[in-house]
Amino acid sequence: MRVSVDAALCTGHGRCYALAPQLFAPDDFGHCALVVGDGVVPNGLEEQARVGRDNCPEHAITISD
Amino acid sequence: MTNAESVPELGWTNVDPEMSARPQQFYPMMRDMGVVEAEEMMLITRHEDVVWALRHPDLFSSGSDAIDIGNIRPLIPLQIDPPDHVKFRRLLDPLFAPREMEKLEADVRALVVELIDEFAEAGECEFNGAVAIPLPCTVFLRLLGLPLADLDLFLRFKDEIIRPVAATPAEGRAMARKTGAEIYAYFETVIAERRRKPQDDMLSGFLSAEIDGEVLTTEDIMDIAYLFLLAGLDTVTASLGCAVAYLAAHPERQQALRDEPSLIPAAIEELLRWETPVPGVVRVATQDVEVAGSMIPAGATVTCLLASANTDGAEFADPESVDFARAANRHLAFGAGVHRCLGSHLARLEMRVALEELHARVPQYEVEAGKTPIYTMGIRGVEYLPLVWSVS
Repeated sequence: MRVSVDAALCTGHGRCYALAPQLFAPDDFGHCALVVGDGVVPNGLEEQARVGRDNCPEHAITISD
Repeated sequence: MTNAESVPELGWTNVDPEMSARPQQFYPMMRDMGVVEAEEMMLITRHEDVVWALRHPDLFSSGSDAIDIGNIRPLIPLQIDPPDHVKFRRLLDPLFAPREMEKLEADVRALVVELIDEFAEAGECEFNGAVAIPLPCTVFLRLLGLPLADLDLFLRFKDEIIRPVAATPAEGRAMARKTGAEIYAYFETVIAERRRKPQDDMLSGFLSAEIDGEVLTTEDIMDIAYLFLLAGLDTVTASLGCAVAYLAAHPERQQALRDEPSLIPAAIEELLRWETPVPGVVRVATQDVEVAGSMIPAGATVTCLLASANTDGAEFADPESVDFARAANRHLAFGAGVHRCLGSHLARLEMRVALEELHARVPQYEVEAGKTPIYTMGIRGVEYLPLVWSVS
């Protein structure tokens, strides 16, 4: 599973890193930064990816595979 | 232009108490209509359309025509459209990012404990006056480095603008302009003092802040501080009031938070969705634009009805159910798009700490028998919330 964040859509609601901190983290602006830079979701964190996606008001998070 | 009417028409006078207490019941009908034309304003009501509109600041301007809250220049950053808007947000976002807010937690908690200890043993309080009003105002004064003795002055400033006691919208606007002049004068004086003698506070920090290589002017700083005052106090007061009023009326939910405080952050998000204390944000259409089958004409004042979007069954499963374990919650209580509430992480911090300490220190509470909480229109606050509980 891969997860990606569209920086052009993220406005820093912070729902992702509040709910799924093992996969998402705030940058200095409070916008979303992936904890795993390459976007490959580590085994066992698939649910965190889904939770992040399903709670982003901007639909900035997408999952593939 | 009809936009100057917009703030009064969001309405806090002559409103049916049933509508202000339970506005959620009216939204399904409004969403069925898609775009609602009401009193010289058009309302966008569906979640998908609200997100779309807020993501298109080129079509829906947040410029100074959108709302009039007594200001004489555009408020920064709310009334600045792209591309300049992002420059101010790059400056301001780090100051209100979660990492910075974490640094405030111990101070906020000490303040909350102090406020609650005042009444915990009494078995009763009027929550709005006892906690919901003083908490955000005190945090704001500390953050900006202003004297706590000015608390009542700031409460008067924001109340006279947000809820003017006026006979007509025109009179309300005139009062807002007068109070607005006092706010500008206040901050002009403070900024001059900080230039002479900087302190370790946010206002002093702005003195050396730069955008495009130029330092902020005194007017820039006044326009930021003015917005902070109007946007940051009443909204948190309202959010706290709505949350605690809901919990007072739902003892099993309240007990769940007391038993398991780790539920509180999710409960806050769900109560923000359900109550949506800032029910709408106002924009002006920059050109003719079609939304949900309706034509919105250029120049029209448009309210993106966040509260209605937040109970839209097309977005939320079982939208009328308040579910602290809701799996997918893309609520828009803090707006969406580039103007997403700058203070959202501070608001969440204040709410979380307040709910944690309230439920740790006060046993099962309820609204005093025979009394009814009074909700306000416009910003949805609970201006009268008498609570009682047993004391041992």
